[in-house]
Amino acid sequence: MSTATTEVSAIDTQARVPVLLLLGFGLVWLLVSGILALIASVQLHTPGFMAGYAWLTYGRSQALQETAFVYGWLGNAGLGLGLWVLARLAGSSLRAGNWIIVGGIFWNVGVALSLAGIMAGDMTGHALFQLPSYAQPLLFLAVGAMSVSGVLAWSDRRSEGTFAAQWYVFAALFFFPWILSVAYVSLLALPLRGVLQSIAAGWYAQNLLTLWLAPLALGAAYYVVPKITGRVLPVYQFAGLGFWTLILVGSWTGGRHLIGGPVPAWVPSLAIASASLLVLHYLLVLLNLRGVFGGGGTSMKLLAFGLIAYVGGGLADAVLSIRSISVITHFTYFAQAQQQLALYGAFSVMIFGALYYAVPRLAGRALTSATLAGGHAILIMAGVVLLVVSLGAAGWSQGQALLDPKISYPEIAAATRPWLLGASAAQALLLLGNLMLGVNFALTLSSSLLASTAPVYAPPAKLAASVS
Amino acid sequence: MKNGPLFFLGLFASLTFSFAGVVLFANAQLGGLTPYYDDAEGKSFPERMPGVAERGQLVYRDLGCVSCHTQQVRRPGFGADQARGWGERQSVARDFIHQPYPQVGAMRIGPDLTNLAGRKPSALDAEDLMKLLYAGQGAMPAHAFLFETVKVSGQVPAKALKLTGNLAPASGMAVVPSERAQVLVAYLLSLNTVYDYPESRPFVKAAKKTEGGIK
Repeated sequence: MSTATTEVSAIDTQARVPVLLLLGFGLVWLLVSGILALIASVQLHTPGFMAGYAWLTYGRSQALQETAFVYGWLGNAGLGLGLWVLARLAGSSLRAGNWIIVGGIFWNVGVALSLAGIMAGDMTGHALFQLPSYAQPLLFLAVGAMSVSGVLAWSDRRSEGTFAAQWYVFAALFFFPWILSVAYVSLLALPLRGVLQSIAAGWYAQNLLTLWLAPLALGAAYYVVPKITGRVLPVYQFAGLGFWTLILVGSWTGGRHLIGGPVPAWVPSLAIASASLLVLHYLLVLLNLRGVFGGGGTSMKLLAFGLIAYVGGGLADAVLSIRSISVITHFTYFAQAQQQLALYGAFSVMIFGALYYAVPRLAGRALTSATLAGGHAILIMAGVVLLVVSLGAAGWSQGQALLDPKISYPEIAAATRPWLLGASAAQALLLLGNLMLGVNFALTLSSSLLASTAPVYAPPAKLAASVS
Repeated sequence: MKNGPLFFLGLFASLTFSFAGVVLFANAQLGGLTPYYDDAEGKSFPERMPGVAERGQLVYRDLGCVSCHTQQVRRPGFGADQARGWGERQSVARDFIHQPYPQVGAMRIGPDLTNLAGRKPSALDAEDLMKLLYAGQGAMPAHAFLFETVKVSGQVPAKALKLTGNLAPASGMAVVPSERAQVLVAYLLSLNTVYDYPESRPFVKAAKKTEGGIK
């Protein structure tokens, strides 16, 4: 019984409904975005696919899958886990849970409205900022409501000091409304002139990754990793430096996607220089979290994979953004490969890892199926590798071909097609894997709800390694 | 980091700093960009888009054309944009000042469209573009939903596409572009960067210094 009483604290019982609600919503969007991503991916090598439907033409299916994935899945799950981490580290029970529930419902209404709006043609046309203008106030208010709980947990914390996980989550809660409102004003309400819109949109998109999604994923990882290893994070005294490097420098790296474009040359140059400075952040995170490579259950495997993707992707960004390489990779699938490595390989996989740690504690029982959990992890890791490699190879050949004016567009399409088929296979693997996660989550929750007694968490021997 | 307010202030300051540095500074530099008045031609460039083209840009935006097509030609020597015939000069910020929704783009699954209507020796005309939209070509999907198939009683509508082969509609029917297709094509036909600004000419390096210069 000692396991049970120490593992599930009062914090978790308080957090159960609000956090599981966000995670559940997130998983629904994860599956929706998986289907949309598969459609968009097939359309790249088979342009006739679903071409008869205006609401699913490639321009829209691409925007739909990106929005569902980032705001639907990563947003819900990241915020849910982040608020849970804040409550746990505060050492008091999660407060203002009702605010999370109300905010969560608003957030998801906002995401649903965004998707409907994009299908109808109300997207803004800026990457990672396709949200129709009327859905944005909803998301803004929703994240504000949810943050109430986070702010209370921060100011009520029992210890005077704070932990790295808290910095990251708290920063993410604060930055999202900030960047969203700035982008809303400068792109939609009072649009900037001409190409300045591209600069502002690039600033937003980069900060969405650097100051919102990365901190949410890192916050969860910085909390879960020492919990599982049972050790203090190594080189923890430098965690603060790692954090501030990301916040101060990461925010300047957006302009590298405008290289060669009709913008002042300092915009990409500054971003490229910042991307090299950001290497420090990635190295410090790697040092701090290196305990994940010690082995362990599903959680640790996923966190280790996510960490490699995060650090590897960051270092690759620094190297690949230099001019002599980006002249090849810019405007190609290679850029998509880099983005998927960050969004899927790093942020999403780290959140999966933290989710396997959190859900048993929140639901009060071990996950129903260890097989489904293991299968999910394997399919996700294989899917991400295949996706990134395929898109990267497609992009490299596309980029080389674009530099040679004698190679025509149909020839480029023929050369990239095998790789794009690989990317579609990867999307199918990811969708299948996420179905396993969804089923496992639903089974665990329903068995938790059906239990007549108060749930008690006691991992069976077989599962002990994977959940604790 | 024991001091909560100081931590919060740090977060606030760092984001403000980057916003000011990237967006506001760029705005200070480019926000006041004016059209360029050419004495010889007696008018200013870039010219405003015709109203119908401005409506077409909205269609371009809501279909997400930007997810496959860029509208930016890079300078000579950086990529093969000129050699591909996408434009004779690089795109500059001034090109976009009249556009409410610049579609600069970041992906070239399809060709760049900056100078679609100004290409040499021959640019696509309205009829080509209509057919391209209706039937698709290569990696470009068909956008048949922008067209209507109507029954012809008597005279064939003047706007009807002249389709042959597999694409031809059943007898007694005709494929006519919807209003959205028409404004979209009007927009595509307005895309050109024929006018050369002082800042869009390639930068010519000054003659090589011979004394003490680094090669």
